[in-house]
Amino acid sequence: MTAAEMPVWFSLLAQFVLAMIATMSFGIAFQVPRRHHLACGLVGAVGWIVYVLCNTCLGLTAPVSTLLAVLPLTALSRLFAITHRAPVTLFLLCGIFPLVPGAGIYYTAYYFIRNDQRLCTNKGVETIKIAVAIALGIAVVCSIPLPRSISRQQYRGPKEPESPQK
Amino acid sequence: MADRALELVMDCGQAMLANGGEVFRAQDTMEIMARNLGITDFQVYVLTNGIFASAKGGTINAVRHVPSFSTNLGRVEAINAISRKVADGELDLSGAECELHRALDTPVFSNRTEHLASLMGSGCFAFLFGGGPAEMLVSCLAGALESIIVKRFAHHHMSRIFTDILAALSCTMLAHIAHRFYAPLNVNVSIIGALMVLTPGVSLTMAIRDIINADYLSGTIRLFDALLVAGCLAAGVSLGYLLMQGIMGVIA
Repeated sequence: MTAAEMPVWFSLLAQFVLAMIATMSFGIAFQVPRRHHLACGLVGAVGWIVYVLCNTCLGLTAPVSTLLAVLPLTALSRLFAITHRAPVTLFLLCGIFPLVPGAGIYYTAYYFIRNDQRLCTNKGVETIKIAVAIALGIAVVCSIPLPRSISRQQYRGPKEPESPQK
Repeated sequence: MADRALELVMDCGQAMLANGGEVFRAQDTMEIMARNLGITDFQVYVLTNGIFASAKGGTINAVRHVPSFSTNLGRVEAINAISRKVADGELDLSGAECELHRALDTPVFSNRTEHLASLMGSGCFAFLFGGGPAEMLVSCLAGALESIIVKRFAHHHMSRIFTDILAALSCTMLAHIAHRFYAPLNVNVSIIGALMVLTPGVSLTMAIRDIINADYLSGTIRLFDALLVAGCLAAGVSLGYLLMQGIMGVIA
């Protein structure tokens, strides 16, 4: 059964869970410590769900949906960076993966080989647009300064020193 | 070089860069540590693949070359924590040295775990891009194959470009072969699922973060890396497609 054949709510739930697992597997590949895995998964899943909602339910184009999805994704990474007292990169690098235009890269190459110039340029330009949307979203959210009290709290370091065998 | 403190600061910066930390983070970490370890006149310039620093009125200099990086965010976090502890005065010079050694010696997930992660991720992505169980299964296999190729080639110091092309090529061919045996298979979705694991998400994100922080040169290096990987994936897919077409005649 594919996502399109399921009832809407079930499909969204399944996508949320699988996006989470997919993001967590990047967490493992990037050697993120275990205590951050769940947060990484949540960041990726939220980004993907917002993208799907914008794209299929609201009927927005892929670049716009990506931009709208990157905003909560980056905000959530920054939130987790504060609560977990870890660099924001940990969550952002893993969470961004479901939105990276892998399908765009594939279809550009696919139509290129099939000699379909029009679709090839369409997909190529769309891929670049999505990449720019991701850049814009991250840039906007990362540029918002934090109130001093929070940034100082974040600066104070991990809550408890981690045991080395973990 | 005689200065132990400067040596430690350089080691931290180098480890940060080599494990996938951003340029500004490496620079910040080094400056904070230098200030708290009593290195005077500390000046540092960090690039994606190099660190240049001088201290004590230019009498001590240090240059580090960081030719390649592999993403190990656990170490980035550990080094970040060391710099915080040094800033809080919890760690002195030898304590920080000890912590750094411990951070660099922490066990990483084994290769098998990483192959498994790649397998799982590919399968999930195949579902997210509209595949059913058959596509997920093919994607899983292709993802594991890619991961094995990438690890093996990195072990033998093969070029990244060649590795990426070959990984994309093999996953394309695997999906087309599977399509031969099971005709209803959606080849595109299975390939995309496996391809997502190889996409240059890390380089793209790091490029953006570097450029936001006005490290334009480092950002450009990363951005170019992202473009190159994307081009390699496209080339690999195209080559795989052409090869299969040559072997099996006209395909979907």
